[in-house]
Amino acid sequence: MPAIYVLNVPEFCALVDVSRIRPGYRVSPRGPNYFKIESDLELCFSRKELGFKPAVWYGSLTGGLDGKIVQFDRDELRVVGNDT
Amino acid sequence: MINDQVNTNSLRLYGVHHTARPTWKLQETVAFYRDKLGLPLIHAISAKGWGREGHPDFLHFFFDSGNGSTIAFFYYIGTERPDFLEPRTEEFFYRSTHTAWQVETRQQLVEWKAALESKGIEVSPLTRHEVIESIYFADPNGYPIEITLQLRDFSNLDNEDARLTIEAALKEEADAVAENHKIADIDTVWRRKGKLLAQVEG
Repeated sequence: MPAIYVLNVPEFCALVDVSRIRPGYRVSPRGPNYFKIESDLELCFSRKELGFKPAVWYGSLTGGLDGKIVQFDRDELRVVGNDT
Repeated sequence: MINDQVNTNSLRLYGVHHTARPTWKLQETVAFYRDKLGLPLIHAISAKGWGREGHPDFLHFFFDSGNGSTIAFFYYIGTERPDFLEPRTEEFFYRSTHTAWQVETRQQLVEWKAALESKGIEVSPLTRHEVIESIYFADPNGYPIEITLQLRDFSNLDNEDARLTIEAALKEEADAVAENHKIADIDTVWRRKGKLLAQVEG
């Protein structure tokens, strides 16, 4: 089960906002400063959907990761579980 | 009474006074900083070489870059630039050493870009980062320069996040060194940080 952590700051909040309304994604607080986003299968994000410029996009996982990155190019990010 | 250890906890610094680098292009450097960028030339030292034997006579001059900061150059009289200081402006490692000046509004950043380009200086597009937005260009010596706008103040969240990121990287690097290799990728650091965060209560 993949999970990512997102610092609660404006530049990364789109990751949380998009995940809250996506079926199968769960968002919960992690400590006072972070959100944890997880799903049973995989976590997928598109840069355009998030509205991220490249320099921010490529730091999308700076909050922390529990899983394996299987795609991280200019437009798409896919994270699967460690055992996948 | 002599203190063996100086306690730095009560000490602080008050910003940048100057950064300095050598130039072998006196005309172009003065023309660029004083005339094109419009930074006032506010101090110049000219001296016989002193100190270490063989030190050339030199000029050391300072341009005002705002808020009490300056950018300074050494011009060593009668010398040639050594090969190891040849600019390698296309390489990441070279470009990482740079000066970033601050502006206060996005409009100022846009105006700087237009002004620089009107003087024939090649300037990058505005580049948005996490907490800053920047333009990039190079001086006649090949030294990289950035002008940046801070988009928000740093907060305690940023401080704590920085602590965790660097803690994760330090642990991964120590493990890698112990196993005689290097950190494989940033994924490795992110996973380590995830483990640190998994231990956080709540």
